Amino acid sequence: MSPLAAWSDGVRRVNRAPAILIGVWALTLLVSLPLALALRGMLAQHLGGSLAADTALSGVNYDWMQEFGDQASGLGATFKPTVIGFGAVLDNLSAFIDDTQRPVVIVGAASVYIVVWIFVAGGILDRYARDRATRAYGFFAGAGGFFFRLLRLAIAQWLVYALLFGALHPWMFGSLYPRAIHEVTAERTAFLVRVALYLVFGALVAGGTMVFDYAKVRAVVEDRRSMLSAIGGAAGFIGRNAGAAAALFLLNFGAFAITVGFYALLAPGAAGSGLRMWLGLAVGQAYVITRLWIKLVFWASETALFQGRLGQSGYVVRPEATWPESAAAEAM
Amino acid sequence: MRRALATAFFFALAWHSTASAQPGRTGAFPQPLSPRNANYTITARLDPSTRTIAGSETIVWRNITSRPAADLQFHLYWNAWKNTRSTFMRERALGGGNDDSQRRADEWARIDIAAITVNGGDRTASKRFIAPDDENANDETVMSVPLAQPIAPGASASIEIAWTAHVPRTFARTGAIGNFFFIAQWFPKLGVLQEDGWNCHQFHAGTEFFSDYGVYDVSLTVPSGWPVGATGVQRERRDNADGTATHRYYQEDVHDFAWTTSPDYVERTAVFQHPTLPPVEMRLLLQPEHAGQAERHFDATRTTLKYYGEWYGAYPYGHITIVDPAFQSGAGGMEYPTLFTAGTRWLAPAGVTTPEGVTVHEAGHQFWYGIVGNNEFEDAWMDEGFNTFSTARAVAQVYDPNYLALRYFGGFVPWVVKDIVLSRETEGNRLAGYRHDAKSDAQATPTYRYFPATGGSITYNKTALWLNTMERWLGWPMLQRVMSAQFDRWKFRHPKPDDFFAVASEVAGQNLGWYFDQVYRSSNVFDYAVQDLKSARDGEQYHTSVVVQRKGEATFPVDVLVTFRNGERVTEHWDGKDRWKLYTYDRLGPALSAHVDPNRVLLLDVDYTNNSKTLEPKGPAAATKWSMTWMVWLQDCLLSWAALV
Repeated sequence: MSPLAAWSDGVRRVNRAPAILIGVWALTLLVSLPLALALRGMLAQHLGGSLAADTALSGVNYDWMQEFGDQASGLGATFKPTVIGFGAVLDNLSAFIDDTQRPVVIVGAASVYIVVWIFVAGGILDRYARDRATRAYGFFAGAGGFFFRLLRLAIAQWLVYALLFGALHPWMFGSLYPRAIHEVTAERTAFLVRVALYLVFGALVAGGTMVFDYAKVRAVVEDRRSMLSAIGGAAGFIGRNAGAAAALFLLNFGAFAITVGFYALLAPGAAGSGLRMWLGLAVGQAYVITRLWIKLVFWASETALFQGRLGQSGYVVRPEATWPESAAAEAM
Repeated sequence: MRRALATAFFFALAWHSTASAQPGRTGAFPQPLSPRNANYTITARLDPSTRTIAGSETIVWRNITSRPAADLQFHLYWNAWKNTRSTFMRERALGGGNDDSQRRADEWARIDIAAITVNGGDRTASKRFIAPDDENANDETVMSVPLAQPIAPGASASIEIAWTAHVPRTFARTGAIGNFFFIAQWFPKLGVLQEDGWNCHQFHAGTEFFSDYGVYDVSLTVPSGWPVGATGVQRERRDNADGTATHRYYQEDVHDFAWTTSPDYVERTAVFQHPTLPPVEMRLLLQPEHAGQAERHFDATRTTLKYYGEWYGAYPYGHITIVDPAFQSGAGGMEYPTLFTAGTRWLAPAGVTTPEGVTVHEAGHQFWYGIVGNNEFEDAWMDEGFNTFSTARAVAQVYDPNYLALRYFGGFVPWVVKDIVLSRETEGNRLAGYRHDAKSDAQATPTYRYFPATGGSITYNKTALWLNTMERWLGWPMLQRVMSAQFDRWKFRHPKPDDFFAVASEVAGQNLGWYFDQVYRSSNVFDYAVQDLKSARDGEQYHTSVVVQRKGEATFPVDVLVTFRNGERVTEHWDGKDRWKLYTYDRLGPALSAHVDPNRVLLLDVDYTNNSKTLEPKGPAAATKWSMTWMVWLQDCLLSWAALV
């Protein structure tokens, strides 16, 4: 199976299971909405009955934003112009690649979100690997059945990323980069050096992500219990299919880049009140859903490539979970 | 023959007169503009490979005070960067400045005096370091040279000094990186003798400089082919046999001399012309990667020369040099007589005032610092604050809209936030910084004693905000008259704070002392608020009560605007002195809102959100809108990290 065929197959598998996309969007909303409501409370309290709210509602009241920011902490401290429109995406991408520290409350939310993803990953991969409907019972059976295995895998993954972000990144950007540009007098040159380091670091992160993605795929498809063997198996598969795996990764990354590009054009900015506000929110959610779709296509296409290269499309070792054939179920 | 000689003499005289009348070409003026009591003739040679300067200077100094001078005091600024024990470095550490522990030994600086003679007598052995500000025995930035014979009032002395200096990796906008050299505060420079003695402060992390006006005639030897930019005009350039070239720069009526050289400079020139102001030849030394931004630099400089010239007074020198410093040089955003450093980025989008903001500001210092020469050690607000105010005003005339830009990916990639247009009043005058540091120091404290980390907010932001408040209160025509009178009265002299306050009260025709007491002599903050607004039916009418409150310690007269639902508007004038004030109204309709200082005259108010209250609040709707916007940012943030799962 070619990378393009795997990607197309992945897209097909994701599109045939819209409930999963809706489900992960709901999860994303579930994690983010309480924090948004908490922030709403802070903003409403600070605005009180002030006329400053009028301009904040119709556009941007930057003076008020700064006044709010000056007294805010924790969650409130993240309310800055960086949240507006496409700037929000740049802010997060930049923070990711520059390893910028976020407030504890944001790190906490991200941790919860990641754990939730680890939980649902088994069910999602099981569904995509079988390439047929597994229903809620099958989904949650997969999620529950693989949770602790994928959690163990996530611990190994965390160790790798801790090494990358906790040790390698500070060395590359806090030590190597300053040394490399110490006598550089042209900003363009320094930027190129930084881009080169981004590419190296990004390639390492992408490599790690690929290995762990295929480890998850192999764990689910082959019902592996040892996550170390799954990692070894994933590395072996990537080694044997390096070109295809890399090409597929780039295809998926390309889809991500195109999505981000489109959002740069369509991002709503500081939309006004009423319908415009809700329209802005809808565009934002459409972007979030597209990002989630791409993440799912990543997994589905990697599953398709793995199965395709083995000539076992749709085959999963673990038997499909079925609803108990009890008298009650019969009666129902 | 005699007629031929007379004709030649006549033409020579005519040429000299013409040249003297063209300060842009000669650096000379027909008549002295300043006391010219500290005149420097300097010869210096730069060795880029060792980053050393060997220099010698002759200072002709005249005692213009009524007291004899028993010693001479010199600034040796570069000794501030000799080690971490200097006052400058200690203050820098106190203020949370850069960690310099990683600097290589050759990246530090020093200036060593080899010999000093006064009126021919060798005084080398008598020189000693003093620390008049903090008695730091490790600080070597002020040198005292006791004299064998005091210099009487009105008398002059000829001082000859030989020295060597090591150029640092840039500290405080001075130094080198690669083959870029920016050389400032580099020669032994006399302090200012005043009636109460020498004013010769140590070099402090948070303050700049102070010196007397004079004539500078400086010969600089650098590698051949390296362009030189310097204070004044180049009168002569001579190629030497050893692969170097000597550039001679000359300027009258300035109080400092800085220069720069680098083989990488791209040179551009343009002319500022104006119907009523003298022309100015502009020379721009650009980094190659900014070649496309030349016109933006010229345009910003023109903006300054035009508006400052129209508002305050003409720029007299006829020439100006704009230096675009190298990346990482740390030399950007600094002023020197007839020369300044701007600062831009490789990616500098339109609609954002980089490089315009810093260019206008530093060019503006030619007026407030260069021409009006206040003491920057003690009263830095008199140039930095005046100039920050003027910069914001000038930028607002030309660069509209001026968008907020955020920078990402190590600061290299800009993103223009077109939803946010920066306002002159709050952004230009830097209200956010002032709000944060408002109580850190009273402005009357000598600037060098401000807390290093927050002093800038008091020096720059607070002054600009109180000047802009004066503009909104008294009107621009009045403030313009105040500032132009200050400029005219104190050009080429050293004004003190009370001099400005006297000019302001005199020109305004009212005693403004109460205002300066609050903004200058105190660290009190202004904060007015609407504490309560009620409007309830009472019989046939609505009874409305408005309680306004003074939450800060400082006072200022403010308007209170009460708006009723039927569109009626009532403006009250509150002297703002009591802690609170009640206004009541009986009207046919209910009130809609109350607003203290609705026109935002008082820009120093540290909390403007609480200045108003409405009975139809839109806070919840605005909070919903912004929390939803924020939620998308959060979701994107979560997705970024979930990419690792």
